Amino acid sequence: MTALLRYQGALLLRSQRWLAPLITYAAFVAAGIRPGDPALDSLGFAAAGLVPTTAWLVRISVTGEPDAARDCTAAAAGPVRVHAAALLTGLAGALLAGAAAAAVALLIGDRAGAGAGPAALAGALAVAACALTGAAVGALCSRPLVRRRGYAVLAGTLGSLLAWLLAFSPARGAVSALVTAARSGTAPLPLAPLAGALLLAAAAGAAASLTAARRS
Amino acid sequence: MLRGITLELPRGALVRIEGGNGGGKSTLLRLLAGIDAPTEGRITGRPPRTGYVPERFPAALPLTAASYLTHLGRVHGLPRAEAARRAADRLERFGAAAYARTPMVELSKGSSQKVAVAQALLAEPGLLVLDEAWTGLDAPARAELDRAVAERTAAGGTVVFVDHDPRRLAGAADAHHRIEGGTLVPGSVTAGPRVRIHAVGPPGGPLPPGPGVAPAPGGGVLLTVDAEHSDALLRELLTARPPWHIRTVEELR
Repeated sequence: MTALLRYQGALLLRSQRWLAPLITYAAFVAAGIRPGDPALDSLGFAAAGLVPTTAWLVRISVTGEPDAARDCTAAAAGPVRVHAAALLTGLAGALLAGAAAAAVALLIGDRAGAGAGPAALAGALAVAACALTGAAVGALCSRPLVRRRGYAVLAGTLGSLLAWLLAFSPARGAVSALVTAARSGTAPLPLAPLAGALLLAAAAGAAASLTAARRS
Repeated sequence: MLRGITLELPRGALVRIEGGNGGGKSTLLRLLAGIDAPTEGRITGRPPRTGYVPERFPAALPLTAASYLTHLGRVHGLPRAEAARRAADRLERFGAAAYARTPMVELSKGSSQKVAVAQALLAEPGLLVLDEAWTGLDAPARAELDRAVAERTAAGGTVVFVDHDPRRLAGAADAHHRIEGGTLVPGSVTAGPRVRIHAVGPPGGPLPPGPGVAPAPGGGVLLTVDAEHSDALLRELLTARPPWHIRTVEELR
């Protein structure tokens, strides 16, 4: 699995297709957070932006290998593991971006109420919850479950919107925990949304990976 | 769509799959290589290392040929240094060493196919699946792939292939199976040409080893072997001490 992750990582990094989602995410974060804003508020904003970013990155990662090359890799390592590695690679890239954005939010934000340590922990949990939710959206809205490019982009956009809006979405849970806490001034610990996001991502990843072996 | 297929692939066997266009040859090969799972039924006993070569390998990968092959070698379970060494070795073998540092997107169709063949042979696979793998290769690379196939079967590996050229590996395949009407028609094991040698040994000397030995009417022994092994047997008989006397060598049809 390590070799597969290294291979998928090299493909994603060298393809430079990560540039578009990451620049969009950077613009989103830059437009939304200001020096002196409450740090928890900014962290919530940075985490929220990670949902579509992760879905996009995951989609790039699972479509990065041309079919013929993917067949060769699948013969070597099995199609399920190949697909799982691609999903994890996209998720890892998004977590890196989210960590960078959270660090910026924490550094330039007002940490007066919550304190830097608890705010950082809350931000890390929210970033993880949003990235995992976005990865679930990306996994469900890309090949092999959605094969047509147009439908996949449409489904990914809708999925990300729903992850923001639906009451039971882990991403919404994590973000609203941070935003609510920004008003009260105590850092929350959004463990329940993180657990929900982990379950959701695992289920979506398993569904997509297991379908990868089925004949198209 | 393929149905009701029962196929056993013995170790060391070279198996050819035939059939019309769109009949499901590639589908069967993908199932055998483990790329797709059957909707019903099972495929069991696949060796741990499987190599697959597709017909076309237009690999728009953002990696150089050597880097891609090293990554694939590690995916096959090789340590890094060994993967890099074998990547260079396979490129050299197929006459593509000059392209080791070329980005894959810049490779010609033929050079791309050489990389595809190289990746399948990196880990000395126990099962090698070739879907028209020779297409696009130049003559020396095609001959090299023939040799690589012979090496794999000699080492106990199984090779399954499809090719549009009926002369491909002619006489070497242990079995020809046909796909017809969505199912597999098992072919008989094709016997290659055989050679009968009539030899007379020194009185009281030991018989040469191996099967296909029978006493000949009028003295001596008759040895029947595959044509491809007849040279080696003759050499053995003539260099034995004391040597055998060869009366006749006859090809059987």
